[in-house]
Amino acid sequence: MDEIKLKELWQATNEKLEQSQNDSKQQTDDITHLKVQNFISSIKPIKIFTILVGVGWVFILGTVVLNLFVYAFDTASPFFLFSAAIQVILTAIALVIYIYQLITIYQIDITEPILKTQQKIANLQLTTLWITRVLMLQLPVWTTFYWNVSMIEHGNWVLIIIQGIVTLSFAIAAIWLFININYGNKDKKWFRLIFKGKEWTPLMKSMELLEQIDEYHNVAKS
Amino acid sequence: MSKKEHQQFFQDIIDQHKGILYKVARIYCQNEEDRQDLIQEMMIQIWQSIHKYNSQFKISTWIYRISLNVAISYYRKSKTITSNQSFLEDQSAQQLSDDKTEREQQLNLLEQFVSELREIDKALMLLYLEDKSYNEIAEVLGMSVSNVGTKIGRIKDKLKIRFSQINQSYHGRN
Repeated sequence: MDEIKLKELWQATNEKLEQSQNDSKQQTDDITHLKVQNFISSIKPIKIFTILVGVGWVFILGTVVLNLFVYAFDTASPFFLFSAAIQVILTAIALVIYIYQLITIYQIDITEPILKTQQKIANLQLTTLWITRVLMLQLPVWTTFYWNVSMIEHGNWVLIIIQGIVTLSFAIAAIWLFININYGNKDKKWFRLIFKGKEWTPLMKSMELLEQIDEYHNVAKS
Repeated sequence: MSKKEHQQFFQDIIDQHKGILYKVARIYCQNEEDRQDLIQEMMIQIWQSIHKYNSQFKISTWIYRISLNVAISYYRKSKTITSNQSFLEDQSAQQLSDDKTEREQQLNLLEQFVSELREIDKALMLLYLEDKSYNEIAEVLGMSVSNVGTKIGRIKDKLKIRFSQINQSYHGRN
């Protein structure tokens, strides 16, 4: 089918479409008079809420840990102290990434060319991977905060060995996931298993889209 | 620009170019309800972006940018994938078996082909079929004119193969 015939054919679909177009006057009036939510601003409230909860958590736990470090370092359990400190620091890093996402959302300009805007939005979605990676590093500290010195000195060795194996496994898994959760592994089975489900759909679609954008940027080379 | 002028400008843009919004929504959404939501979202974005309009660009270029950016972002947020291939294939088989003119069949095939393309390929093909110049397509998408030509050529090759395969199976059955 040649070019002219193809375009003529497409024009025929447009004729069908024109017949079905409604009067847009009512719709435009509504838009100019109402404060409506849209798809970009709809992302913001949930992010703001998450940041507020995160800031609250880091502030409260951070204050407790800091006080223990300053005033009760000799008496408090060092396992709890260091586990909680690592947890607070990692949550604070995840919060910084969240705040970066929020700032970037405000900078997206929908009137810019498609490839540029879509690349920005997709990269923004991909920073969610960084949040996941950082939070994964918290895994081992959830298995150490309840340890204490007396448990090591007087505890049952079998239980201590089991506890050690659990913590070591969590530590290895956390480091492995931190290194391997990245865009390059998006097609691996384990990656798709972790990021399966509705809540990850925008992230997975962003990766597909980035692949398309890369193809467009490299079209001359391929 | 006063608020009244702003509203009038918006109304004029929509009156003159609403066809663009409908065409974009049609190729990105199969479902009528989603399509209406998408059109409303595009209108909201146009309304909110009027102050950014740069008169060095044609208004249609500007509207294509906004509507395509919204449609592709909408696809990313949507829970279901908009183009359901197996459904379309069933529909196509049904349409081929019906007593329709060859032109109608080709029309359905073309719509089906476009709806099955990946998101950015869809945008490119829509602009090409709308007879936009390679320069304007490059401005909307943000790529070089030569890359536009190469990409369109590749998609047209796929389209040609698709048409010949389906035509062969259709004529083989009759």
